[in-house]
Amino acid sequence: MSGLGRAGAAAWRGAARLVPAGRRDWVEAIWAEAAEVPPGLRRLAWRAGGVRLIAREAVTVRRAGGLLLFAAAVAAAARAAWPGSSASLATPAERVDVVTMVLLLAGLPLLARWCLGPPDSRPARWLRIGCYAALLALLPARAAVERFSYTPPRGSAELRVYLLAGGTTQRVPGGSDIIILVVIGLYLGAILWMTSRRARIAPATLAAGVIAGVAFGLVMYTVAPLGLSKQATNPWLPGSDIDPLMLLAWLLLLGGPVAAAVVADRRYTAASSSPPPAGDRIRQTTVAALLTSMTGALFVTVAGFATTLAMIKAAWLRNWLYHGQHLLYGVRNLSANLKNAPAIAYSHQLTGSADTGAFFAMLIIFPLITLVLNIWVALSVWSGDAAAGRSDPRPGGGGPPGPEPAQDPPDGGRLAGLADADAGLAAALPGIYEPGPGIEQDPLVAAAPR
Amino acid sequence: MSDRSGFSAQTLLVLAALCEQPQWCHGYALARQTGLKSGTLYPILIRLADRGLVEACWQDEPQPGRPRRHLYRLTAGGMAAAAAALAGPAEPAAQPGKRAPRPVPGAMARAVQQ
Repeated sequence: MSGLGRAGAAAWRGAARLVPAGRRDWVEAIWAEAAEVPPGLRRLAWRAGGVRLIAREAVTVRRAGGLLLFAAAVAAAARAAWPGSSASLATPAERVDVVTMVLLLAGLPLLARWCLGPPDSRPARWLRIGCYAALLALLPARAAVERFSYTPPRGSAELRVYLLAGGTTQRVPGGSDIIILVVIGLYLGAILWMTSRRARIAPATLAAGVIAGVAFGLVMYTVAPLGLSKQATNPWLPGSDIDPLMLLAWLLLLGGPVAAAVVADRRYTAASSSPPPAGDRIRQTTVAALLTSMTGALFVTVAGFATTLAMIKAAWLRNWLYHGQHLLYGVRNLSANLKNAPAIAYSHQLTGSADTGAFFAMLIIFPLITLVLNIWVALSVWSGDAAAGRSDPRPGGGGPPGPEPAQDPPDGGRLAGLADADAGLAAALPGIYEPGPGIEQDPLVAAAPR
Repeated sequence: MSDRSGFSAQTLLVLAALCEQPQWCHGYALARQTGLKSGTLYPILIRLADRGLVEACWQDEPQPGRPRRHLYRLTAGGMAAAAAALAGPAEPAAQPGKRAPRPVPGAMARAVQQ
């Protein structure tokens, strides 16, 4: 064999290692068989078929491709968020934000994979991808909005508005930045745990939480596309507490997690062959409820930041959302400074960018509300159980009389015991007795030699 | 495209070729017999092996100067499945714009039925 042939064989063996161990024989078989194919184009075509097989079977390549794609997305988001000019007052805080976010996004999944295991269902994988996409979109959008908020404008009228609205001349990373990073880290960590193999969360639970969460997020976004801004004057955003949309948002905030938990519990119980332990059911319902509020909050935050950014850049959206004058509510002497169109436009932009802080409040408050609800429900159930337990008669004790014995069922209990009786007969009479229709056969009995 | 047996036209070609030769046969021989390219033939063989219809092994004594070859033949279950599939309407219709695969020889199907 020539040197080139040996190198080709070595490269092929290396490529064969990309496919799972059980498939390597097939890849090597194609290489071995190529020696029988007439040299030239036909042999090349034969080996090209082998390359196709490797590409098809190589999970490693797919995984490497996914990692490369992820690294490229993180790099693109970091590049977009990275402050271009050190003249901006927001630059130090933005740099800290970007570096910490990149560390979180890159490090936490590795840690989770090592400690908790990879996701083992399609909904879990999609949930992780969605969470990453949301956080990666949030990174540059938030940086752009904050850059706008903390960069003094050039025009004198706009600068007066900026200073009247409390525009700072210096910004260093403070407590709020740290809290935001901690919250994002907690979100990422919670999603990674929920989707990990060790958490044992059913795919149906994840699906229920995400669907309810997206519905809740959509309604919340419609109510508050600019961070619960009372200054937005579009009739579509009346900000009234009795508005039907607002009522729906309240209903979904309180009822969405409960509905998702109920659905998740039913699906989980129905999918189990025997009644699942109470601990497992509590875990599924808690995750479904938390996932609803977290997904909703993340959805409205990402969509809200994107809308605010678009509002800053696009005049038509700004004019549509803010066609009134009463902006920067509570800022004294502002109306005297809103003399010209650029100043008014700037006050709109500044109002929108300042109101985005409400989104981070939602990220914290929504899951907290769900947790409090969960604890309240759990305590209610627990206290109900405890009360029922106290009323039970204790053996040998002098407690109140026990409940009346249950009445016999109309069929004399035959139907209830039918499955057991059938299984017993099938075990005693293998090959002679077959269980009746509609009654599940014991797999051990079914497998017994007849 | 698959027929009522659930096998694609190309898989039926492979099954027919394997039926025709009850001894162990090589991938290249199968490719020549069926007219399939390696990139199509081997995924079919892998699927059939995964379903327990085909068994594979490495050649014990390779020819001098040649690498060991991978050999294939139908299992008993594969024989039965092939017989059932080839007994039906095995001749696949050509799709417009696509080259029709080589039809399964009638003699081959009859041999399987016997």
